[in-house]
Amino acid sequence: MRHKLAEWVAGRSAVVTGMITLGLVAAVTAHKVNAQGGGIQIERSFPAIESGDWTGPRLADGQPDVEGHWSNTIANHNNFTDPQGGIPNDPNPRPADAGPRDTRAPSRVSDPADGQVPLQPWALAKVKEFQVGFHDPVKPEYIEPLARCAPGGIPKSLYWHGYEISQYPGYVLFQFNSGTRIIHLDNKPHLPENIKLWNGDSRGHWEGNTLVVDVANHNGKALFGRSGEFISENGKIQERYIFNSDKSRYNYVAVITDPSVYTRPFTVTIPARRYTDKDTPNGWHFEVEPATHAGADLILEHYERICAENNGGFGITAAQK
Amino acid sequence: MSKPIYFSFHWKFYFSVAFLLLVSLFGLQACQKAPADNKGLSAPVNDIPRLASGKPDFSGIWEATSAADYDLEPHSNRKDAPPGAGIIEGKYIPYLPEALEQRKKNFAARETLDPAVKGYTLGVPRGIYYPEPFQIFQREKDLIIVHQFGHSVRTIHTNNTDHPKDPYDWWLGDSRAKWDGDTLTVDVKHFNGKTWLDRSGNYHSDSLHVVEKWKLIDVNTLEYTATLEDPKVYSRPWTLSVLLHRHREKDFQLIEDYRFTLEYDEHYPPRPPVQ
Repeated sequence: MRHKLAEWVAGRSAVVTGMITLGLVAAVTAHKVNAQGGGIQIERSFPAIESGDWTGPRLADGQPDVEGHWSNTIANHNNFTDPQGGIPNDPNPRPADAGPRDTRAPSRVSDPADGQVPLQPWALAKVKEFQVGFHDPVKPEYIEPLARCAPGGIPKSLYWHGYEISQYPGYVLFQFNSGTRIIHLDNKPHLPENIKLWNGDSRGHWEGNTLVVDVANHNGKALFGRSGEFISENGKIQERYIFNSDKSRYNYVAVITDPSVYTRPFTVTIPARRYTDKDTPNGWHFEVEPATHAGADLILEHYERICAENNGGFGITAAQK
Repeated sequence: MSKPIYFSFHWKFYFSVAFLLLVSLFGLQACQKAPADNKGLSAPVNDIPRLASGKPDFSGIWEATSAADYDLEPHSNRKDAPPGAGIIEGKYIPYLPEALEQRKKNFAARETLDPAVKGYTLGVPRGIYYPEPFQIFQREKDLIIVHQFGHSVRTIHTNNTDHPKDPYDWWLGDSRAKWDGDTLTVDVKHFNGKTWLDRSGNYHSDSLHVVEKWKLIDVNTLEYTATLEDPKVYSRPWTLSVLLHRHREKDFQLIEDYRFTLEYDEHYPPRPPVQ
């Protein structure tokens, strides 16, 4: 519930009107977001991280220890290729989203060089149609599925609020704001290919500082954001999570392939930083609360994140349509 | 002459084999006993998996084989349920009179009112005996339960923290646990009251308070009991129990089951125009 409210404030939906009781909570959340100063968009550029050795701490099973709270540093899912440029065709654009393109963070598409998803003509037409329909969702397919509580999917989950990574012998677990992803580190075969999943079926292994993940069984339904780019159920995703050894940042670099939607494979790059108890909790990137306990030390924990009945702002618009 | 020698050789051979077999059996037994003895724990159950700290390790994928989710109480077969002897101590839920009426209404409309039909998170304790697997990821400080159904995540805190002072209402409540020997005792409260206990309409309110006990009774079996207290719905606390079995099938894994997305799944992703 609360993350949707935070999103109203950050993404300024018009639906707030009439939601008086909830407005109070939204105000509190907005205060938390603003308290950090930067809102969601923290960086316009970010450092490269080379794949190489891991010299940081390790867990008992030998995995590089990358446990903790993480969040992307650039923007939410308003716009996939111009992340700080606002929702395409927004009738009420924010002044902050205007200005020359090079004053904002680069496209999440790092290859090809033009920063655009190499869509086939029919797919590009669908994306353009979505970018108009999104603002007046007269058809169900114009609703961004995250607004209906669907899992964020891949790669959108990585720029939809902060998330927690925890590790276990044989597994890396991502607890996203909307959805959960289990990366299997054994070499068991992928699920049979007719089984399609919002977060796909993931097989990973560590190469030094890099978690390499092969994603199959993707259902293609999640969309990449409010700008409507998409993958189909025929797509494959090869992910590299490249961590720096001081465990403060990682860059997500993924090659997305789908001959039924794109003209060629393309690469997505998403920077992320870790949040610790030295950071101020924040209603978007670092959604934690101090735990109640007898000791003097600060223990931060996140509460349940379950969205199941269109209980957020955008969902209400959708349901009314 | 040659025959007795041959015979004698044979006899010695069998003796040696038997002797070696006995030695290796004793040796094997000694090896098996060693790990448990080395733990230095007061009352280890037997050779159950343990964390580095010596606490029992519940990591794994678990599922009940019980028919409990059809109806927690004893019931004959019916069109939508196999018969079941129930899993409740004392057989029946001690409903308050008005709550019993509500339960009857729930039963009559179960086909549409059951929150599981809508794909909502199952809640506690229903998620535990619902007939779909769940996986426990365990660390020293917490156990994270990922339910296949809805892929909902529940954290059971084992780091000496208490319930929040300013809680919300949650689908899965707030779980704080402590170890009592090899038994994990979990205190769960702050529920939202939107979940049921089974598909026959047994239910609770947002005042539900659950105390769970989890214990490995062998490597592959967890004994699970839950005591439910809810002064708005029950006249006294009552207890249910089930056994949970470890999935050991080759390559077994959870498969995402976001049931609530099925109603709009068909609208995504965009399709190429029909040629």
